[in-house]
Amino acid sequence: MRALCAEALDAAVAGGAAYADARALSRRDQVVATRNGEVLTVNDQESEGIGVRVLVDGGWGFACDRRLTEEGAREAASRACAFARAAGGGRRRLAPVEAQSAEYGTPMRVDPFAISVGDKVGLCLGAEEGMRRDGVIVTSATLRAFRERKLLATTDGVEADQERVECGGGIQAIAATDGVVQTRSYPAGFGGWSGQAGWELVEGFAFERESARVGEEAVALTRAPVCPAGRTTVVLDADQMVAQLHESVGHPIELDRILGTEAAYAGTSFLSQADLGSLQYGSELMNVTADATLAGGLGSFAVDDEGSPARREAIVEAGVLRRFLSSRELGGGGSMRADSWNRMPLVRMTNLSLEPGEGSVEELLADVDEGVYLETNKSWSIDDKRLNFQFGTEAAWEIKGGKRGRLHRDATYTGITPPFWASLDGLAGPEHWVVIGATNCGKGQPGQVAHVSHGASPGRFRDVEVGVHA
Amino acid sequence: MNDWLEAAERALAAAEADEAEAVIHAERSGLARFAASQIHQPTLVDNAVVRLRVVRDGHIGAAATNRLSQEALAELARRAAEAADSARPDPGFPGLAPAAPTPEIEGYDEETASLSPEGLASLARGALDESGDLGLYGYATAGTTALAVASTSGQRAEQRATDSTVLVLAADHGASGYAEATGWRVGELDAAAVAREAVAKALRTRDPGELEPAPYRAVLEPYAVAELLDYFAFDAFNGLGLVEERSYAAGKIGERVFDEQVTLVDDPLDPRGLPRALDFEGTPARRVPLVEAGVLRGAVWDRATAARAGRESTGHAGPPEFRMYGAVPSSLSLTPGDASADELAEVVGDGIHVTRLHYLGIVDPREGILTGMTRDGTFRIRDGRRAEPLPNLRFTVAVPELLGEVPALGRELALVNGSDFYGERIARAALVPALATARFNVTGIGGGPGL
Repeated sequence: MRALCAEALDAAVAGGAAYADARALSRRDQVVATRNGEVLTVNDQESEGIGVRVLVDGGWGFACDRRLTEEGAREAASRACAFARAAGGGRRRLAPVEAQSAEYGTPMRVDPFAISVGDKVGLCLGAEEGMRRDGVIVTSATLRAFRERKLLATTDGVEADQERVECGGGIQAIAATDGVVQTRSYPAGFGGWSGQAGWELVEGFAFERESARVGEEAVALTRAPVCPAGRTTVVLDADQMVAQLHESVGHPIELDRILGTEAAYAGTSFLSQADLGSLQYGSELMNVTADATLAGGLGSFAVDDEGSPARREAIVEAGVLRRFLSSRELGGGGSMRADSWNRMPLVRMTNLSLEPGEGSVEELLADVDEGVYLETNKSWSIDDKRLNFQFGTEAAWEIKGGKRGRLHRDATYTGITPPFWASLDGLAGPEHWVVIGATNCGKGQPGQVAHVSHGASPGRFRDVEVGVHA
Repeated sequence: MNDWLEAAERALAAAEADEAEAVIHAERSGLARFAASQIHQPTLVDNAVVRLRVVRDGHIGAAATNRLSQEALAELARRAAEAADSARPDPGFPGLAPAAPTPEIEGYDEETASLSPEGLASLARGALDESGDLGLYGYATAGTTALAVASTSGQRAEQRATDSTVLVLAADHGASGYAEATGWRVGELDAAAVAREAVAKALRTRDPGELEPAPYRAVLEPYAVAELLDYFAFDAFNGLGLVEERSYAAGKIGERVFDEQVTLVDDPLDPRGLPRALDFEGTPARRVPLVEAGVLRGAVWDRATAARAGRESTGHAGPPEFRMYGAVPSSLSLTPGDASADELAEVVGDGIHVTRLHYLGIVDPREGILTGMTRDGTFRIRDGRRAEPLPNLRFTVAVPELLGEVPALGRELALVNGSDFYGERIARAALVPALATARFNVTGIGGGPGL
């Protein structure tokens, strides 16, 4: 793969490129899914190819080829140069990076691909069995394993050989009572959580311990009252905090969005470049960090997809906006990631975390006379500037007199980003802080999916509008 | 493109199994993405994925690769066999799709298939030349895809298809307007007209007024109608949701739930759409009535969900890795009415006009409740005419309520692109008119139009 990247760079320079990067990549993605006691999917997908990005006459071009051959590498470079010329050039420049040779491998104890498919199926079916009870109409379980080796070479002297391993999974029960249908998931919906780690991550989920609770709560939700509407105090669990962080902080701080590059699709941002160092994003408890070196994070690497080294940077400090996620073209770097060999790198989140506060979840609740504790993201939507959001969660626990009370269903809450974060007045401590990875962050045209992680602990927000109904 | 059916046969021959099915999905495409009226992310993609599903002693496994050498296909067969041998027997497996002729359809255009990078850039510039004082954001794309299936049940089928889209957001910091055009013949797309529509729309959005959250009567343009139906259909007209009795349609088939003006089908064969002859199991695609005069009629099915319901597949199976979501409509078509654009506003009288939606979320699939935002062309309607612009609006709607009283449907149909081109290129589009509804529930206010 090293030689192929060199071949592609040579061809790009010969084709007129002032800069080029080539990524030769090979990946394997395995999914085991069961549903209602039957094996739904045992799928093992591999993909490989080379993608070449060139800067010709100040304009970008990108092309790719699924063949990891010299011919494939040269043709991809040649087509990328041709498309760059046709597209009409420009005045794009890149911030410099130091030439370096880097290697990276995921720290792990147990290779997820060393676990047999049979054992994975057994784990899924066992979890399903644990969830099954009267009232549950659907049980399902999903496990995934992922390995990717990527060789990056750039014309400014960066070469990186990186191998990442991920795994994860989740379980879900759907229950119905008198026409009310409710879902309960663990550790999260939408396929669960993932991390850049070995199988020990999945073992830590302890599905055998949690499955009965998931089934019980699914049934209980069908009999629970609808979450009352009104303005109240909410405490978000770590899973919902991550969703909130991702949508209302992670995307708005992407500098390409701020500059309009994503305007037609994902949208822009309420932030402007002039806000750096002055905008009060949230309360003083709000400290947000972008960290591509975070252990277990899906966004960890040695160098990004245009050769910038991994870094840890403060994004929000004591509520004040300090930095954006950026690229070399936009004057920074360290956040450029491509979905695969057949996509251009874009400005993406790496591992974006809300740093922990102090104390326990019980202490957060203790200071709430009336409110609601919201668990496990169920739905999300936010406007194109990332201001007006609405989320739904699977479970909502009444808080009365500082204690968790009755279960409610169909909880939603809505707000506007800066005042919402300004209302953050409690954040649980490091012992409640978890790193949660998701593999479904969409952006770009053609669409790209990024695997990103977030660290967060439960947090308390005051005067939030809860219960938005059709 | 290559002879993909022959390649599928080679993959099938490599299988070591009692039964097997080889599916090849190939793509050659280009997308000239532009921002601030400059092409900034021009992307060319060339890929082919072969999926092999095998049945060994009642155990089923699948594997996929994009390497097509004999050695790679042998490795693919080994991985698929290993997956099957590790799996438990599936007593509900309905068998592979039987040999059956696929429908004769249109949907392939040589000009689109052979469009060069220069041609694609030229298509994009056709839009960019109309930018005026605004910046244009969006893309021009054209692609060729092939789907080829060979199986031990005797099925042999292949479809080649083309698709193309020009999508334009015209915007500055105080205004934005949107338009797009989609078709399988790139020569029929008028990029300049798309841009002019977006620019004209944008220029009317400056200085938005105010609006109180409340239910409003509304006109939804085809862009908004298509996205709303797409999200609703994902669960409501999905055979899996029906058989598991958790979707909106469960228990309501045969009931009148929408306004009698609402007739909706999923029609992969319609040459006005993006025609599709077969699915990823090799089953011939069919036209499926979903709603007739407001009465729920059915859903779409793949082989596994159809077998559970005692029905036949309608040819709506996706790739195996997405089958956990069930069968999903891909070619929604809403029957038009007879109203002009002006007449739709007149019917609404006092309400709002919505061009496009943003970032929808499914709040409650059982009740058909969705939330999202409007953007790039939201206006007040007063006295039956489009009036002042509005900021972006958050809505939370029960789609059955929104479609429960439809005073009028537009007479013009638009083909609206439904693909964001994630992963492999699976082009899809909805053929829909604008519509007027008596209830569009606005639950919040967002930012103003523009960047």
